[in-house]
Amino acid sequence: MVSLLRTVRSIRRVGVREWWRQMQYIGDAKSGTYMGKDQFGNRYFENTNQYEEIPGRHRWVDFAQHNYHASQVPPEWHSWLQHIRLNPPPQDPVMLNSSPPWQAPWVENLTGTRGAYRPYNTATRKISAWEPKTAARA
Amino acid sequence: MSFARPRVFAGLQPRLLVVPRTTAVRSAILTHRLLSTSARALAQHAQGPATSTSHDGLSSAVGERSHRHGTAPEPKFDSYGRELNPYENGPTSIDKAVHLFFFTEILRGMWIVLENFFRPPYTIMYPFEKGPLSPRFRGEHALRRYPSGEERCIACKLCEAICPAQAITIESEARLDGSRKTTKYDIDMTKCIYCGFCQEACPVDAIVETQNQEFSTETREELLYNKEKLLANGDRAEAEIAANLHCT
Repeated sequence: MVSLLRTVRSIRRVGVREWWRQMQYIGDAKSGTYMGKDQFGNRYFENTNQYEEIPGRHRWVDFAQHNYHASQVPPEWHSWLQHIRLNPPPQDPVMLNSSPPWQAPWVENLTGTRGAYRPYNTATRKISAWEPKTAARA
Repeated sequence: MSFARPRVFAGLQPRLLVVPRTTAVRSAILTHRLLSTSARALAQHAQGPATSTSHDGLSSAVGERSHRHGTAPEPKFDSYGRELNPYENGPTSIDKAVHLFFFTEILRGMWIVLENFFRPPYTIMYPFEKGPLSPRFRGEHALRRYPSGEERCIACKLCEAICPAQAITIESEARLDGSRKTTKYDIDMTKCIYCGFCQEACPVDAIVETQNQEFSTETREELLYNKEKLLANGDRAEAEIAANLHCT
């Protein structure tokens, strides 16, 4: 993973500052072509050179947040990152054409926070408690 | 089980134990050594020149030692005249082969470890890198809408019928415009086995399983999805779902 040759090669390409950031988060010195950025500021890279990255590690994301989580990747980029789609979303005509205008903004997994989903009943109750109707006393 | 043959030590032991005291004893020992290399071998010779083997199966014939490749050892017979197996009490060839195999297996295994030490690891650094996923991957459920924004589900309850885990609960009502829609579409994600039968059964592609697999929760109740949650899932991931269902 981290070898001297790989580290030197990566520092020459991305610079010391970016290399230090990679070592703090990814834990590996990686270098590749910049494929784009999503609406949250996560950056996506690719390196298809098989002598530099083994297959399966050739696409990666650099999270914008310090408290990163895998669900911070929006679904369009998620399908590129998990090798479902060949092209990144800005260059994928199918992905661009299949985005409806009513598409809701992506929300990451909010479990453990106050924004977490709590189930509730969407139908009316079948059984209701008896509420006595009493006539007012004269 | 040892591979060292006991015959090897037979010639060494008496020499180590002998402590010469007098010249008479010393000369006697010297003559004995001229006769043979060991006292034990001498004792065997005392039994007679005809017998080349002793009671413990050890032979001391010089010719036998120097010309091993010559003739086969003489077969031994018991009192009934049956031939005895001279290797009966020793390790069999299978025992020797197994010992050799299992001992070298350690070295062969350690060699593989050494080889992989100098190879790049196959570790995928999740969540920065992710392994390949099928477009047919069955993850979190979602209810889809038509491109017009109308929800697809017509409350036919085929998914509820086919669900082997009985995780889906549906209640329906007629809307004011006469179309039948669900008022309750609950999926118990703790019951769901992610078999994908619901999306196979759906005639209008309303219920689908998206490729999202990062929906783990801290509490159990967050996995009891209702209709609003499923529709919200579909609204967020519609582009990915539609791209997966798209045929070129």
